[in-house]
Amino acid sequence: MHRAETADHVMQTLTFSNLSKAYGGVPALADVSLTLTAGRVHALMGENGAGKSTLIRTIAGVVRADSVTVTRDGTDLPLHDARDAHDAGFRFIHQELNIVPQVTVAENILLGHDLPRRLGLAVNWPEVRRRARGALAALGATHIDVAALAGDLPAGDKMMMKIASALVAADGARADLYVFDEPTAALTGAESEMLFTVIDRLRAQGAAILYVSHRMDEVLRICDDITVLRDGRHVSTHAIAETSKDEIIQAMTGRDLADSYPHRREGHGSGTVVSLRNACTANLSGLTFDLSPGEILGVSGLTEAGQTRLLRMFMGLAAITSGDATFDDAPLPRDPAAAWARGIAYIPRERRESALCLEMPIRSNILLPHLHAHGVFARIGRERRDARAMADKVHLKSNGPEQPVGQLSGGNQQKVVFARALLGDPALLLLDEPTRGVDIGAKFEIYSLVRELSARGCAVILTSSDLPEVLGMCDRILVLHDGHQAHLLDRAGLTSAKLLSYFYAAREAG
Amino acid sequence: MSTLRQSGTLLGFVLIVAFFAVQLPDTFLTARNLINISQQLSMLAVVAATMTIVMVMGDFDLSVGSMASLAGIVAAIMFAGGYPVWAGLGAALLIGIAGGLFNGVLVSVLGILPFVATLGTLTVYSGAAFLISDGKTIFGRDIPEGFSGFARAGVEMGGIAIPYLTITAILVIAACWFLLEHTTFGRRLYAIGGNKEAAHLAGIKVVRLRVLAFALTGLGAAGAGLMYAARVASANPTQGSGLMLDAIAAVFLGMTMSRQGEPRVIYTLVGVLILGILDNGLTQLRVDSYVREILVGLIVIAAVAVASLSKRGR
Repeated sequence: MHRAETADHVMQTLTFSNLSKAYGGVPALADVSLTLTAGRVHALMGENGAGKSTLIRTIAGVVRADSVTVTRDGTDLPLHDARDAHDAGFRFIHQELNIVPQVTVAENILLGHDLPRRLGLAVNWPEVRRRARGALAALGATHIDVAALAGDLPAGDKMMMKIASALVAADGARADLYVFDEPTAALTGAESEMLFTVIDRLRAQGAAILYVSHRMDEVLRICDDITVLRDGRHVSTHAIAETSKDEIIQAMTGRDLADSYPHRREGHGSGTVVSLRNACTANLSGLTFDLSPGEILGVSGLTEAGQTRLLRMFMGLAAITSGDATFDDAPLPRDPAAAWARGIAYIPRERRESALCLEMPIRSNILLPHLHAHGVFARIGRERRDARAMADKVHLKSNGPEQPVGQLSGGNQQKVVFARALLGDPALLLLDEPTRGVDIGAKFEIYSLVRELSARGCAVILTSSDLPEVLGMCDRILVLHDGHQAHLLDRAGLTSAKLLSYFYAAREAG
Repeated sequence: MSTLRQSGTLLGFVLIVAFFAVQLPDTFLTARNLINISQQLSMLAVVAATMTIVMVMGDFDLSVGSMASLAGIVAAIMFAGGYPVWAGLGAALLIGIAGGLFNGVLVSVLGILPFVATLGTLTVYSGAAFLISDGKTIFGRDIPEGFSGFARAGVEMGGIAIPYLTITAILVIAACWFLLEHTTFGRRLYAIGGNKEAAHLAGIKVVRLRVLAFALTGLGAAGAGLMYAARVASANPTQGSGLMLDAIAAVFLGMTMSRQGEPRVIYTLVGVLILGILDNGLTQLRVDSYVREILVGLIVIAAVAVASLSKRGR
């Protein structure tokens, strides 16, 4: 508010036009135009490779466009480098939380700024904390302790901290544009809600907001306008009120998708793959459920309520301390090697950190957990054959099995991880946030694969912070609270709102 | 770009060979000199090939030099005590495996950084070698003819004698190559080097394999120590100390030639050849040995710098 009053001019519209950028002759953006209005949230959608990242990087001045005209209320602005973008009042909040975990929240918020000093020498720490507190207060996030170590914050608070950091950057200067790049990718449902409140507040203050997300439901909910890119070209711009989910998906993919989730097959196999009776580990408790072949169980809850820990338990990474837990009528495996050997496939949450050897070929990454079946000697022919067969099955786009995985797009990297899981023809598939940072087209393919596996009798346990995904894919939903089983719900009749209310009910009961 | 990066070191190798061939037309590219080089290089080749095994996992072993010295001393002490040759060799190789296992346990089970752990065992093994030898060189009648004779003999092939030491090195290199390139064990080691966490979650027994890999490197170091002792028909507690830096340098030189900058035994061999040929050629040109050391250091730095610069450029 303060800023808007002292500013000599209040922005109305900001226009980027004739925006083009080619890499080595291949156009990443071709003559794209985008008009942003003060006090409105503008969604930018498109599949991976549609040009969203290039567009953002161009606006940020990190990538220099081949051509671009920036106009603010009829006045041209220069945009040659990151300095110009900053001076123009553009602020960026990225998907990756680039924080320095070992220092305090206050220092993170003022990172990259000249710290206030006494006599030009010693850092004036009280002033640093005061500024950081002020920035957080502007977001309504007063619960965050600025003296805490940044690494100790939950993911949601880290996001608040990054936004606060962008606000500090705007101190004294006016911020006209906030760009959010996949901000909810690392957040749970409840944390996303907090973020939306912040975005509402920024909108009310008269800033223009560019919101990039793969998640249709949140875009429909919080955005006012939407622009869709496809293959580096502008496809459409609409007011959200005048368009629909189907229309947007059609614009993004160039094809119709009747439903975001493939059809479920009714009923599943008889028998029991997994049976838990009041099973507990060091930080999970009260787990009681059975899983039949082909059944898909969703695991959900507030931030880190134990979703990942539950999956890791099945991989033998946490010992059962009391109660009974069996897989295939035998105790749970004692380490990941035993788990894979017994037909449990695991797709970890952090694809790059925990699943893939990025510099190694697709072949090696797919074969990794299945080498025990090959005996002592490695036979490259058989490895290539297996890798190719699996790559075809998941519709992997690559230059063949010897291409390093790091050269693939996020969606294709995730398909490599799926190909690995499929190779063993698993009896139990553990999926931890399987569609995070994956575009809509690849998402649908991944959902289809999960359905296909389930149809073949593979039981699936899936965690996701994307509630529509849980509802769209799962037969039953297990709600965890602080590692304790709070509810086991049938999907029939559930809605996102109802499910969210169970999370909070669990919190109050707990 | 990456092919230029990969072929740069190989090109350098060819240029070095060509340089010496022109400078030393009568003595360099002769069968006798090449055989001589291969024998001079055999110890380094064995240490570097087995060093590659741990470096594939992103680890390294600084203790190989003092392990080589210790192994030589252990064998010589056994010989001096009247034990037969096979017992001395067996004891030395067992010490190598035990020392390697110890390194592996420190690094893999206790989680100590390889640099710190093997720097520690470097001084431990070196101290042990001094302790049991009383700091003296063991030579003369204590070293049996059956042991030192091995290093002087060879297999006659077309009028040229291929020394046993060269043949041993070739066999060790072939074994390491087969292990790393054609067994699932090798595949697993490369995966550990690619991403330890991912390898563990994909069912690779990371802890066990790392211990095992260090044991093989220890075994290789002990073997090289025995080869050295046989060649000079004596053992002293510092004779292996030059091997460690050269072996690591050879693997680094090799890494500049592979597709993704990962260590490969065949490229390590090229690295060994570069270092050995430089050594041989410069000695023949009567270049001061200190100048030689400076040159070798600069070449390793230049090769790695070019590789990392072109990698960044991608």
